[in-house]
Amino acid sequence: MPKIHALSSVLADQIAAGEVVERPASVVKELVENSIDAKSSEIDITIQESGLQSIQVIDNGIGIEHDDVKNAFKRHATSKITDREDLFQVRSLGFRGEALPSIASVADVDIKTSTGGEGTNLHIKGGKLTDEEPSEARRGTDITVKDLFFNTPARLKYMKSPSTELSKITDIVYRLAIGHPKISFSLIHNRRELLRTSGRGDVQQVIGAIYGIQCVRKMIPFKGQNDDFKISGYVSLPELTRASRNYISVILNGRAINNQAISQAILHGYGSKLMVGRYPIAVINIHADPLLIDANVHPTKQDVRISKETELSNLISDNIYQVLSKQNLIPDALHRNHAVKPRYNNISQLNMNLNQVSDHYSRKTSSSDYHNDSSSVQLNSDQAIANDTNLKQSPISENYHLPKTVIIHSKSDLKQPDLNRFQSYFQNEHDVLPFDNEKSNQQNELNHNHANQSGRFPDLNYVGQIRNTYLIAEGSDGMYILDQHAAQERVNYEYYRQQIGQVSNDEQKLLVPIILDYSAADTFKINDRMEILNSVGINLEPFGKNSFIVRQHPTWFASGQEEDTIKEMIDWVLTRGKISVADFRAKTAIMMSCKRAIKAHQHLDSRQARSLIQHLKTCEDPFNCPHGRPVLVHFTTNDLQRMFKRIQDPHHSNSY
Amino acid sequence: MKFSIKRTAFVNSLNIVSRAISSKTTIPILTGLKIVATKDGLILTGSNADISIETRIKASNADNKLAIASTGSIVLPARFFSSIVKKLPQDTMTLDVTDNFQTRITSGSSSFDINGLDPTNYPHLPEIDSDDSITLSGDIFKEIIQQTVIAVSDQESRPILNGVHFVLSDNQLVAVATDSHRLSQRKVKIDDSDKSFDFIIPGDSLVELSRMIKEHQDIQMRISENQVLFTLDETSFYSRLLEGNYPDTSRLIPTTSSTTLQFEAPVLLSAIERASLLSHESRNNVVKFTLKPSQKIATISGNSPDVGKVEENLQPDSMDGEDLTISYNPDYMKDALRSFGKTMINISFTSPLRPFTLVPTEEKENFVQLITPVRTF
Repeated sequence: MPKIHALSSVLADQIAAGEVVERPASVVKELVENSIDAKSSEIDITIQESGLQSIQVIDNGIGIEHDDVKNAFKRHATSKITDREDLFQVRSLGFRGEALPSIASVADVDIKTSTGGEGTNLHIKGGKLTDEEPSEARRGTDITVKDLFFNTPARLKYMKSPSTELSKITDIVYRLAIGHPKISFSLIHNRRELLRTSGRGDVQQVIGAIYGIQCVRKMIPFKGQNDDFKISGYVSLPELTRASRNYISVILNGRAINNQAISQAILHGYGSKLMVGRYPIAVINIHADPLLIDANVHPTKQDVRISKETELSNLISDNIYQVLSKQNLIPDALHRNHAVKPRYNNISQLNMNLNQVSDHYSRKTSSSDYHNDSSSVQLNSDQAIANDTNLKQSPISENYHLPKTVIIHSKSDLKQPDLNRFQSYFQNEHDVLPFDNEKSNQQNELNHNHANQSGRFPDLNYVGQIRNTYLIAEGSDGMYILDQHAAQERVNYEYYRQQIGQVSNDEQKLLVPIILDYSAADTFKINDRMEILNSVGINLEPFGKNSFIVRQHPTWFASGQEEDTIKEMIDWVLTRGKISVADFRAKTAIMMSCKRAIKAHQHLDSRQARSLIQHLKTCEDPFNCPHGRPVLVHFTTNDLQRMFKRIQDPHHSNSY
Repeated sequence: MKFSIKRTAFVNSLNIVSRAISSKTTIPILTGLKIVATKDGLILTGSNADISIETRIKASNADNKLAIASTGSIVLPARFFSSIVKKLPQDTMTLDVTDNFQTRITSGSSSFDINGLDPTNYPHLPEIDSDDSITLSGDIFKEIIQQTVIAVSDQESRPILNGVHFVLSDNQLVAVATDSHRLSQRKVKIDDSDKSFDFIIPGDSLVELSRMIKEHQDIQMRISENQVLFTLDETSFYSRLLEGNYPDTSRLIPTTSSTTLQFEAPVLLSAIERASLLSHESRNNVVKFTLKPSQKIATISGNSPDVGKVEENLQPDSMDGEDLTISYNPDYMKDALRSFGKTMINISFTSPLRPFTLVPTEEKENFVQLITPVRTF
């Protein structure tokens, strides 16, 4: 008897299942992706006991023909691609033809499917067909997976706690829902609804359903594109952060992926606005030509190879930077979000009231949430003398955030006159002066540029200093408290960030040259990148096989650290492939700006304080110190009035 | 152990030994001061990883008013002990070690009890068995140190450059230091010595040593494999030696020159100090010499885009050779010039990218400061 033989197909499927079906969440992912590929508009996921007992996915997609159903459970059987070319232009989420047979080989699967006519009901257990009968004619597929891993006890034993498995499932459903806002998802676990999205194509509504309405309000939209990629999404304001990267969702052509470079690009977009160890909530949808993407890396398809990844990263960073740099990022003193963990607790309740709430919100927002809005509203009523331009602008700026909250029910809604107005508003965004006051109105014509700047950063009138540390200032819309050290640190940083990169090309000669040894692999890379190194003043000469000799170094090197600095710069080039002196010395710039800033507990007279506030206003990014701490906080006039009970607290929770 | 002593004499010795005691050490007992009382007098010892200092207070010297009642030894926490001793009210003080290393210090009506440490745990000082000792004039050695130690590197990645390289051969002691940007070399004739040594003493140790050398004091130097011992009257100074091969510096000093300048060192120093006022503010700490011997023009200039620029016409005592423009770090030049004191010096250049030298006009051979230029674009 021959020792080598082909494995039975069930056994082969079980082996494949080891990779494809890692845990209940993988089953959910595969089934939901199938439903999405089947052009469903509604997908209901019902789970029992974190998916170990049963997972049921019901969709209203195209269904499977009676004759095809059995084939669908054969290995490498798929309707999604047909030939070799298709493999390189995959437009569907699945294509390997592995998921269904793999799942069926390790579980008890019951599938009812119909393309509109008479349906088929198959029952497969452990890879063996046990039952086949006709079923009802509802178009779509209803697939139930029970007793997962019943025949692979080893895998079953390694399941984590039910709550961990559940969180993996919710995580994957969340990401898929974000990637497909046009599909209505519902996720029910043990009869408790965890997620319901409307399927109206509004990503923001989906985010609201997932992270809560509180978070949505602190997230801002961005979009951009270049020749190859189209990106859109939402990022949280720097004041809303989380302690882990898990809240960054990257969706590439509808597929939830993990990509270090893209996450990094998002963080880069924030620059110094994030505190150390804090990460934003971000949702980003990327559309790219399937040719640029290779999803065929791993059976789970979570790792994706992207051609032109650097361009994509730059596109993302630039767009996020752009959108954040336009924002007024002053945290509201009373409404600051101290939460470290997301507010999932009453999400189901939120979901039920979501439509109600979002209506509510769109009405409310203009008056109380965004202070720049409230200012213009108040100005409107207070200043009857406001001139013509102001009157024209104010209603528009009042609607500033409406595009985020307006719900479009159908395509025809897109043609609403309102929408056109929002669009035109966004195109003319820079002309709006949310912080208009009499003074800037007068200056408006004289100094257009200056007024532009004031749109982001309020005109502050210095009032006084507290504890020789904090400056109180008054703006048109309430009170501001500034941290004098953080403020000057920011001012200095913007200066040194530039300065530090502008070093001279002069080179100090060395009497005793420095010899650097590298591994053979690094030596090749260094030789490749010699030009980059030369451009920052590091001239390496080959010295023996794997060594380099340095005979001179740039004069800006700190004395005593020449060798370490050169090594560090070479490592920098090896890991990042590029270097600029300014980037390399960014930490030094931060340190210098901190050291040379006035400290807390230093008395400032009003002239000094005023000048500091003036300087801060001209900063590119005046809201955080280079370490990410806030520079100033804001109390709206409403807040102040409420604190002194001049107006009553409205009867609602802390949502506004 | 019990003794009484004149406080000022004790404080003097205490100050000497304290140089070697650091408050940060991995061996706690080294933060202490070791006192040994013998019939002949007291021995005080302080040590850190690099240097150890031992000094004696002789009972035979009447000025010390030392009276030893019983012999013994103790280790006392140096920081507390020396501040206590300095603040005691009377001219004399008494120290008495009782049980468990408890030490009572009394002076007049004041009395302190402090906890001592077991002296048997105190590390032994390095043993230097070599009998070869070299006698040097303290004044000259102090000068050597001051002239070379400026060029000692503080770069930790090349520890060998953190010391001064001494070579004794053919009745001549050569001391060299370099931090790879500049170099100082000093040669001294040593009579009656036919020995030859080659060793590297850490710059920090030399600085401490030079502070201890009094005027007109002779010092004896003894070398072992990894330690050097300097004996200054009653005090012994031990330092570790740096191990390794010092780079060969003899080739680095140029022997020819194309342009030479002669200056009174303090005159040039003050010009450099003025020129470097602005360059220090700049991102680029460089000043420039423009020399045109044919037209008898020598200018020094500094440029700092943020602040402004400076230019000064120099009045060298003599100037010969070809025209030359050379840039360099003014800090190195200042350090070098200061080491010359008030002497006349010769500066010799070969090319804008080659190191240049500064030597005194007298005894040119014995002292040279070498500085590498900055390449400007």
